[in-house]
Amino acid sequence: MYQYDTLDRQMLADRSAEFRSQVARRLSGEITEDQFKSLRLMNGLYLQLHAYMLRVAIPYGSLNPTQLRKLAWIGRTYDKGYGHFTTRTNLQFHWIKLRDTPDILDHLASVDMHAIQTSGNCIRNVTADPYAGATAEEVDDPRVWAEALRQWSTFHPEFSFLPRKFKFAVTASPKDRTAARVHDIGLVLKRARDGALGFEVIVGGGMGRTPYVGPTIREFLPVNRLMSYVEAILRVYNRHGRRDNLYKARIKILVAALGKDEFARQVEAEWAKIGDSVDLPDTELARIRGAFARTGFETLPPVSDAFETAKAATPAFARFARNNLKPHKKLGYTIVEISLKGIGDTPGDATSEQMEVVADLAERYGQGDIRVTHEQNLVLPHVKLDDARAVWAALAEAGIATPNINLVSDIIACPGLDYCALANARAIPIAQHIAEKFRDQDRAERIGELKIKISGCINACGHHHVGHIGILGVDKKGEEFYQLTLGGSGAEDASVGAMLGPALPYDRVADAVDTLVEVYLRERQDGERFLDTFRRTGVAPFKEAVYAEAH
Amino acid sequence: MKALTANRLTDGEVVFWKAGHWVERFANAQLWTDDDPAAIETEGQGKAQATVVIDVYLIDLVESEGLWAPLSYRERIRALGPTNHPHHGKQAEGGAVIEALQHAHGAARSTGRVNLIKRK
Repeated sequence: MYQYDTLDRQMLADRSAEFRSQVARRLSGEITEDQFKSLRLMNGLYLQLHAYMLRVAIPYGSLNPTQLRKLAWIGRTYDKGYGHFTTRTNLQFHWIKLRDTPDILDHLASVDMHAIQTSGNCIRNVTADPYAGATAEEVDDPRVWAEALRQWSTFHPEFSFLPRKFKFAVTASPKDRTAARVHDIGLVLKRARDGALGFEVIVGGGMGRTPYVGPTIREFLPVNRLMSYVEAILRVYNRHGRRDNLYKARIKILVAALGKDEFARQVEAEWAKIGDSVDLPDTELARIRGAFARTGFETLPPVSDAFETAKAATPAFARFARNNLKPHKKLGYTIVEISLKGIGDTPGDATSEQMEVVADLAERYGQGDIRVTHEQNLVLPHVKLDDARAVWAALAEAGIATPNINLVSDIIACPGLDYCALANARAIPIAQHIAEKFRDQDRAERIGELKIKISGCINACGHHHVGHIGILGVDKKGEEFYQLTLGGSGAEDASVGAMLGPALPYDRVADAVDTLVEVYLRERQDGERFLDTFRRTGVAPFKEAVYAEAH
Repeated sequence: MKALTANRLTDGEVVFWKAGHWVERFANAQLWTDDDPAAIETEGQGKAQATVVIDVYLIDLVESEGLWAPLSYRERIRALGPTNHPHHGKQAEGGAVIEALQHAHGAARSTGRVNLIKRK
């Protein structure tokens, strides 16, 4: 992975010392809360319902074991022994004290981590395909470009006060595991017929109050022109974005208002003015690329006898292998997805002990590489098939071997009203109720891929708009109600879900999901996923079943 | 009835006003009748303690099992802790007031919080 140099480390040390001084001045009364609030947010520190919350950046969801162990230690020392992985592939600590925060930032800096640009109207943590460098599908390693964007966007003075926050996702596979089409900028690496690499540039997707699937404004941008082109996009946005209205300030509103052709024209005009002076020199690109080159693969046979024997002998491992192991580009290796969606657990939460187990496994079996997915799970991207059973056994011992990746209980849920100061309703208990309802693993496998995503408010941190089943918590005169949407997708076939009908009360949601699944099982044809069936039948049979039962 | 709540500056802990200082348990909070002007006056005093607390506001209460509980669900969660971790937050201590809060039903947002609704 990318290694910080002395300059990077000095910047973090300086920033941490600066925040220590700001906290001291706030505690002494030298500066007011109004003056301090933006300073703490620039360091990822929010005030939530019960305590402060610190959001730690995990660039493109990539961690080494030392970093994960440090997060585990911080969780144990300064929080309640756990952390919460988010849909931005960050980690949030929910029980943080302001007075401890400068020390925590020092500890993070000691392992090249920080909480900078995890809040505020700036370019946030860049996300990338969690299978980067491991999947045979990719045309290039998206981390190279995500790292280049990270360096370019960190402390970029021109883009530190945008009209609103700004999020990039980078993928290089046809199968999109980053939700690129619902980002402010989604970059999809492609290879032209002549072998040249380029980006499909998608701009103005987003969720929140006004969801959009972003249009493609350029089908093929040569990779060496990335920096100047995104700079042109950001300049057009910075100039014309709606700073007058918080709800219209994201780039998606500007792109929709101008139309994608006019927006693209303005970007091209700006791009022509910028020229190539800010583009990444080949030498620098090669330096970054070198940080991701992996040489530790062995030459292995395509079939692992140990793996096949273990599957035959242990049905639970066979189930794990079916659902949580994904094909690796190297023969004899596999990608291991670690579900943080144990039945009845909080989606995305990992205890300090669990983080340490994953760090140990990465070190022992996984070439020291750990990823966080935007679906709030972890990945060991490079595990030998020969070692898969040992990894599974250790995960099972730690309670994180739930074999449900992409199944009905692999639910995204934001922290919701249990923690978040913005939320209108709880999200976590809804996820828990649904997961309990589908505890039967045979039934879950029969249902197949089904992505449920739950947000506790319209800001849509739980990505409900792009859930095959989306669930949005709303406040109806002080009571928690839930608005269901169907047919959303954050993948390469992105779409925004359609409303099912009137919002349902808290204790009706899990039953309604069960009913929706039963309708799907009744209606599905030829191996259709839930999403495919919904797209074929439309909302009618689902609506009829849910609301017929409501009467 | 009303109570005055805030978060403590140094650690974010949910606190309630009681006779000139801040206490952690809702059970110990000072209460005012809805029409008592002292509630508004005390809110002003609380806001003046800017190096002690942040986000000071009055909350509405409702009767539950013969005791008073915050009317809004959000405020009950603040006074109790997250529902997904029953051992986290103030609910871990148990007791009659905690149980009354857990069993309470309300139907409105806290009136005082409107000015504090934060943006990401």
